[in-house]
Amino acid sequence: MTAPRFPRDPRAPRPPAYTPGSAEPRLNRPVRERYPQLRPTSGYGDPRTRHTGPGPGAGTEQEPERSSKLSARLALALTVVAGQLWGLTVVVDEWMAGDTGTAWWGAGFLVLSFLVVLGLWALDPDDR
Amino acid sequence: MSVTDPQPPAPGSADAAQEALHDRIAADSLTTRRDYLRIVATVSGGLAVGGVAVASGVLHRHGDGEGPPEPRRIADRIAPGESLAFRYPGAEDRAIAVRMDDGTLAGYSAVCTHLACAVLWRRDRGGEGELYCPCHEGVFDARTGAVTAGPPPRALPKVLLQEREDGSVWAIGTARSGEDAREALCRQQGGDTALCRNASAPAEGSDRP
Repeated sequence: MTAPRFPRDPRAPRPPAYTPGSAEPRLNRPVRERYPQLRPTSGYGDPRTRHTGPGPGAGTEQEPERSSKLSARLALALTVVAGQLWGLTVVVDEWMAGDTGTAWWGAGFLVLSFLVVLGLWALDPDDR
Repeated sequence: MSVTDPQPPAPGSADAAQEALHDRIAADSLTTRRDYLRIVATVSGGLAVGGVAVASGVLHRHGDGEGPPEPRRIADRIAPGESLAFRYPGAEDRAIAVRMDDGTLAGYSAVCTHLACAVLWRRDRGGEGELYCPCHEGVFDARTGAVTAGPPPRALPKVLLQEREDGSVWAIGTARSGEDAREALCRQQGGDTALCRNASAPAEGSDRP
């Protein structure tokens, strides 16, 4: 055994002795005990696993059906609003031409269209 | 710090931790498609309210007022090829009277049906002159008020003129876009005049005795 190259200062504090694991006993428990939810089947084959985490499909849409349904609702609502814009021009035109009855029918059409959009909006309040 | 590590206790209460979590989630996407759907629904509601307001009469029509319009003398005479700007029946109802070269007298609202610019009489345009809106090149036929070019969606509302024996020109009523002069007079006078009772009587937008 050779002498250290640099002599240690005898007054310096000594480092603690190395022991594997953590100083906290609860972290030294086996993984099964630390994460009781984990099972040998946890992963892609486990139906309870909804989000796959890093791996194939990570970062992409997890529920493509939900996403496409929301896109379809948005597209339908935009189409209805385009129809409302046309309807408003008709209402103004008929009112200015003196046909008040037709103008009221057009106003009813606009209100019904709004109810359709409202329904599309309220179809799934938890959607994002 | 891993998500499996125990989270530090919130400094304030559980609400603060909930808010921090909400901030982290909300920062992922500033505007979601659901937000767009809400915006579209709001626009749709605004259009519906606008349509009901229009049908209720929020827009002013030429000649709309309380009671039938009173006949009013607007000029001593109008020479062929000349026009006259006046207001009838209300102080805000801008109108224009035109005497064409062949002697035809016609009166119209001077407010363009496109975007409410002023309509001008241009004798040098077209075959026999035309009513012209310089804002967006809208053109109206001076004889009928119908749209002949440009973006206006409707014909000009008419102002019914009458030329009396002394040459003076009187405004006696108004007609909406595309409305027959006799129908307009009957609507405004209540339908109990001789003109309305005699359905076979000729109806003209301008009357020269």
